[in-house]
Amino acid sequence: MKIIKGVLEEELENAFRQEKAYLKALSELPQGALIKKTIKDNDYYYLIYREGGKVKFLYKGKLSQEEVAKYEEIKKIRAKYKKLLSEVRKQIRFLKRALNAREISNSD
Amino acid sequence: MQEKFQILISVLKKFEKAGILSDFVLIGSWCLYFYKDYFINSEFNPTIRTKDLDLLIPEPAKISKKVDLLELLKKDGFLVTFDNNGYLRLEHPELIIEFLVIEKGKGAEKPIEIKQLGVNAQALRFINFLSQNVIELKSKGLVIKVPHPAAYGLHKLLISTRRREEYRILKEKKEALLVLRSLIESGEVNIIVELFKTIPKSWGKKYCLC
Repeated sequence: MKIIKGVLEEELENAFRQEKAYLKALSELPQGALIKKTIKDNDYYYLIYREGGKVKFLYKGKLSQEEVAKYEEIKKIRAKYKKLLSEVRKQIRFLKRALNAREISNSD
Repeated sequence: MQEKFQILISVLKKFEKAGILSDFVLIGSWCLYFYKDYFINSEFNPTIRTKDLDLLIPEPAKISKKVDLLELLKKDGFLVTFDNNGYLRLEHPELIIEFLVIEKGKGAEKPIEIKQLGVNAQALRFINFLSQNVIELKSKGLVIKVPHPAAYGLHKLLISTRRREEYRILKEKKEALLVLRSLIESGEVNIIVELFKTIPKSWGKKYCLC
């Protein structure tokens, strides 16, 4: 029992730390997503982002394949971090419940 | 467990592709998973719940390739975190990677920088006992360096005497006894005895017998 409780507490500590790390990483990623508009066979790009609760568009013009790839990469990383943050939060909920249940059963 | 394991193998395969896997010795509880390939004819069946991947770098100066480990693992969702003492970890919800080196002299209170890999490492006592008794195991198409199970078991008993938290003491002892018992059942008690003889008295080896 002691092993399990100790492991759960350590896991919870790890999960809190990871939650903080993913939130920080997400806040540090460049904001916005790229939208492409094709006009007369030319691709023009806009950066769409939120500021002060409003959705804004920033005209970026024609971008090189490299620049577009960079934005795609950031989009993938953001999606990945959000997914992992959600996993970490699930772990936190589970661990809190498990430790709470252990406390109740120990006091019975 | 399945996801943890898949991420572990993915990390090790990336290290192998980058040419650095052989610079590490995998120590810590994940060894128990790979010891299944050592104890092939026995009923060795460990329960592995750890998220910690401890990687010992026996000879940091001999790492020949320059690889930014965070860049290598970023796409898998790994992030860098630091503990209160400045030791770096590469963290994922299912796996936490820490780097260790052998403590030299009076020891280092600060993290040891591993420039070639863009990480730092913690210097620990007694882990030279592990690096001096390394075997190679083949698993999932990889060649992984791990301590000989006898060294692993004895080392776990040694460090259990130095743990403060009771749950850690129990965990270390449980893992040590699992491995040592399997070696005895496999007829390899001599290896345990021979390795035990090599442990310096100053390390408190008498406590291994408790």
